[in-house]
Amino acid sequence: MHKLFARQLAKATKPSGEVDLNVLGELVISAYEESDRDQRRTDRSISLMIEELDQLNRDLGRMIEERTAALREREAQLQAQNLRFNAAVNNMSQALLMFDGLGRMVICNERYLRMYGVSLEVAKPGCTVRDLLEHRKVTGTFSGDTDEYIESLRASIAKGVTHAKLIELPDGRTVSVLNHPMDDGGWVATHEDITERRRTEKKIAHMAGHDSLSGLPNRMLFHERLAQALVGVQRGSQIGLLYLDLDRFKSVNDSLGHQIGDELLKVVAGRLRNCLREGDTVARVGGDEFAIIQVGIERPLDIAILARRIREAVRAPYDLAGHAVMIDTSIGIAMAPVDGIEADQLLKAADMALYGAKADGRGTHCFFEPAMDARMKARRALEIALRKALTAGDFDLHYQPFVSLEDNRITGCEALLRWTDPERGDIPPAEFIPVAEEIGLIVPLGEWVLRKACADAARWPSHIKVAVNLSPIQVMHQNLIPAVVSALASSGLAPERLEIEITESVLMHNTEMTIDALHRLRELGVRISMDDFGTGYSSLSYLRSFPFDKIKIDRCFISGLPDAKDSIAIVRAVAGLARNLNMIATAEGVETPQQREQVRALGCTEMQGFLFSRPLPVEQLSLLLEPYRVPLARSA
Amino acid sequence: MRTQQLCWGEAQGWRRDGDASDANLVLYFGTRQALASGARYGELRAMFPKAHIVGCSTGGQIRNDDVSDEEIAAVALRFEATQLRLASEPTSGPAQSRACGEAIGRALKADDLAGIFVLSDGLKINGSELVAGIIGAAGPNIPLTGGLAGDGANFTETLVGADCPPQGGTVAAVGFYGPAIRIGHGSAGGWDEFGPRRRITRSNGSMLFELDGQPALDLYERYLGEDEARGLPGTGLLFPLLIRNPAQPGHDVVRTILAVDRDARSMTFAGDMPENWVAQLMRGNFDRLAAGAAEAARQARAGLGEHSDQEGLAVLVSCIGRRLLMGQRTIDEVEAAGLELGSRIPRLGFYSYGEISPHGASGVCQLHNQTMTATTITEAA
Repeated sequence: MHKLFARQLAKATKPSGEVDLNVLGELVISAYEESDRDQRRTDRSISLMIEELDQLNRDLGRMIEERTAALREREAQLQAQNLRFNAAVNNMSQALLMFDGLGRMVICNERYLRMYGVSLEVAKPGCTVRDLLEHRKVTGTFSGDTDEYIESLRASIAKGVTHAKLIELPDGRTVSVLNHPMDDGGWVATHEDITERRRTEKKIAHMAGHDSLSGLPNRMLFHERLAQALVGVQRGSQIGLLYLDLDRFKSVNDSLGHQIGDELLKVVAGRLRNCLREGDTVARVGGDEFAIIQVGIERPLDIAILARRIREAVRAPYDLAGHAVMIDTSIGIAMAPVDGIEADQLLKAADMALYGAKADGRGTHCFFEPAMDARMKARRALEIALRKALTAGDFDLHYQPFVSLEDNRITGCEALLRWTDPERGDIPPAEFIPVAEEIGLIVPLGEWVLRKACADAARWPSHIKVAVNLSPIQVMHQNLIPAVVSALASSGLAPERLEIEITESVLMHNTEMTIDALHRLRELGVRISMDDFGTGYSSLSYLRSFPFDKIKIDRCFISGLPDAKDSIAIVRAVAGLARNLNMIATAEGVETPQQREQVRALGCTEMQGFLFSRPLPVEQLSLLLEPYRVPLARSA
Repeated sequence: MRTQQLCWGEAQGWRRDGDASDANLVLYFGTRQALASGARYGELRAMFPKAHIVGCSTGGQIRNDDVSDEEIAAVALRFEATQLRLASEPTSGPAQSRACGEAIGRALKADDLAGIFVLSDGLKINGSELVAGIIGAAGPNIPLTGGLAGDGANFTETLVGADCPPQGGTVAAVGFYGPAIRIGHGSAGGWDEFGPRRRITRSNGSMLFELDGQPALDLYERYLGEDEARGLPGTGLLFPLLIRNPAQPGHDVVRTILAVDRDARSMTFAGDMPENWVAQLMRGNFDRLAAGAAEAARQARAGLGEHSDQEGLAVLVSCIGRRLLMGQRTIDEVEAAGLELGSRIPRLGFYSYGEISPHGASGVCQLHNQTMTATTITEAA
C-alpha cells in the first residue's frame, strides 16, 4: 500500500475501526489536487525555464557571434598592424632589439641579423643579450668585454637611464648602440652604423679647419693651433711665428691665369710642408699668404735656418703645365714670448716684420723689432696725412727744365711733385709715393698732376714740352686714357707737348696691357719717354717692345763722369742705341760743364740737371721761360 | 534530563504521556488562532509552575511523525545539571532587529553559556540582523538555533510568548548554561536550483526590487501563473531563492519570501538580499526535500556524539514553504528526520517563517529559509 494512502486510511479510520469514507475521500481528492498542482507547477516552471534558457541561449549565441565578429575584426586589425609593425621594424635603418624585464629578447629585426651576420637560430625570442654577445664574439663582430658591457647595461636600465655606447667593430665599422629602458624593466636597443657619418663628420671638421685648395690648415685652425702653442709658451717654451707671402704672385696669376696660380699655391704648400718638423704648423691664411708656427726653438737662429730653408724651397723653379715659373717669398718673423704672448699681438708683429722684409727688398726674411711698430704707426699717420693733403691742396708741382745739347736751349720741363705738410714740412716723394701707390691714392694724385702740369704748360711758350711721370699703377689703371684726354682738353695743351715718362718697372708688370696703353697714348699724339734707364733690368727687349720717343739715362751713370770708364761705355752705348732707334737720348743729373761736354761727346742729345737748373716753382720757371717768348713777340 | 510530551486538542484538551511537573522548561507551538487567547499559556503555567514557558505561533506543528494544524504540541523538559536563563525583547519592526538581538545576546552572555534557542516574531524582524545581533553580543562560538514564528499561509501576525501569553513583536531566547548540556544541530534544504542564474540588481536590506534589471515580482508572477500568483506572498514560498556572494562561493543561502508590494513591484524576504549577489530560483521535489530533512537530522544527532542514544529532545524547525509545497506529503520529511534521530529522541517542532542554525559548511550561525533545521538537546549523564 502506498505510504500516503496508508496514512490517509489511518487518518480516516475511527477509533472503532470504521473507515469514514467521506474523510478518506477528501484526503485522497486533496492529494490528487496537490499532485495536479505540483504537476502543473512543474510543467509551468520547466517550460518557462526552457523558454528562459532558450532566450538566454539565443542571447548568448548572438553575443558570441558579435564578439566573434569583433574579435575577427580586431584580429584582422592586429594582423594588419603587425604587418605594418614588421615592415617598419625590418625596414629601419637601425638594428632594433627589444628585451623584456627578465632580460629575454622579444623582438629582433632583420637589420640586426644583417649588421652582425647573426642567424635567426641564434637571435631567437627568449635568448639573452649575453647569448648574442658571446655569439658575436666568436664570429668577430664584438670584441669588447661581455661581462663589463652587460654590467654597465644593467646598471643603466636599473636606474632608468639610457645606456649609450659607441662600439668599434673589428672590421672597422663604428656602431652607436642605445639601450632605452622601458617601464617593465626591459629595454629597447637600437644599433646604428655610423661609420659613414663619422667619416663625413671628420671630413667636415677637416674642411672647416682647412683650406680646400692647398689642404693646409686655414686661418681659423691656425689661430687655434697658435693658441695651443701659446699655452706651451706660458710653460716656458719658445715658438716662432713666420708670416710669408709670395713676391709677385699676382703677376703670375695675371699673366698665366688663375689655374696656374692655384697650381703654384698647391706646390708651394707642399714645399712648405716639407720644410717643417713634426709639431710645426703651416697654414694658408690668405690668397698668397702663409703662416707657420715653429715649436721647440731655442734661439732665433733656429728660425732663421727655417726661414732660409723655406726661401730656398720656394725659390726653386716650378714647372706648372709647361710654364717655367720662378717666385720668391718674403718672410716676417715674430717670436713668443719675446715679441708677445698673445696671438693677436704676435700675428701683428709677424705682419710688421713681413712688411719690413718687403721694405728691405723682396725675397728676404726679417725679424720683428719693436722699432717696426713705431715705423708702422708713422706710416699710418702718413697715410692719413696724404689723403688729407689731396683735398687740402697741399701738393704742388716744381719743374726742372731739360735743354738741347745742340743749342743749350730749353726744350721742355719735367713736372716733379712736391708735398709740404703743414706739420711735417717738406716730405720727399720717395717717402710718400710708395705709400700713395700702396693705398691707391696714386691714381687721383696722378690725375691731379696731369691736369696741373697740362694747365701750367699751356701758359708756356708753345714749343716747350712738359714731362709727367706715371707710376706703374697709373699706367695699368683703366682711367688713364680718359684722364690724359681730359687734362689735355681742359688745358688746351697740344698732345705732342705732353711727354709721359715711365720707368722700366712699368714694363715688368703685365707687359701686354701696358704696351697697349702706351700705344693708345701715342695715338693721342702724346710722346713717351723711358725714364731712369739702366737702373732696372735694363733689358733691351723693353726698348724693342715699344718705340719710345726718348731714353733718359739714369743719373747714376752721369755722376761717374767724366772718369768712370764703365759709365762712359754705357752712356755711349745707350746714346748710340737711341740715335739708331731715332730716339732722343737725355742725360739726367748733369751737374758740371765737364759732364755736359762729355755727354754731348758721347752722343746724348739732351741734358737735365743742376748745371742748368734745379726744379723750380712754376712762377720762377715762368721767368726762366720768358726769353723764349721773344720769337713770338718778334713775329708779333 | 527528562522529557514529557503534551498535546492539546479542541475536543480533548491537554493530553500528556507522563509526569514532569518539576520541569524547568516548556516549549509549545500552535496556530495563531489557538494561542492568541493566552488560555493555553495559563493552563501550562498551572501545570508547570517552576518552568520557563516559551512558545510561538506556527505554520503547522510537528509532533514526532505527525504534522498537525489543529493541535498544540508541547514538551516539558527537566534539566538536572543545566541552568537556564530566559531573555525576551520587544520588536516593532525589522529596523530594530540588530539592536534587539544585541540586547538578548547581552542578557544571556555568560562564561558558561553553552547554547541559545531563540523564537522570534516572524514578520516584524530581519532574521539575519537578529542573528548577527545575538552572536555579536553573546559570542560567535555559541550554538544558536531556533526559528521565526509563523502564521500559516496568512503572513498577518505572529506571536511569541516568554513566560507570558504569546503576543506579537516579541523575541524570546533560552540560554543553556553549564558543562552538562549537549546541543547538536543540523540544517539542510534539499531544494533544487533551476533556471538561469540572475543577479540582484536592486535591493534594500531584505527588500528585493530587481533581478537582472527586471522587477523580481514579475518573475515570480510569471512562474506561479495567474492563479497561484494571487496567493502571494504565501505561494512565493514554492520558489525559494538561492542567493550567493560571488566573492565567497560555497556559502549559499536560501531566502524565503515574507511579503510583496504589488505597487512597488518589490518583495520582502526573511533576510538580506545584497546587491550584486547571484540569485537562482529553486523548486522542490518531494523526495529530495525529505532527504534534506533527513540530512539535517543526521547532522544534529551526530552533534551529540556519544550522547546520541541518551534521553533527549529534537526540536525540528522547518520552513512553511516546504509544507505549502508538499501538502499531505509533508509527513514524508518529518518521518525521514525521525528515522535518522532514532526512537529514543522525541521530536517537537513547527513550520516557520525562518530557521536559525549554524551553517552546515561555515559553522556561522545564520538565518535560513526553506530548510529543515534540527536541534538536539541532551544532558551528559
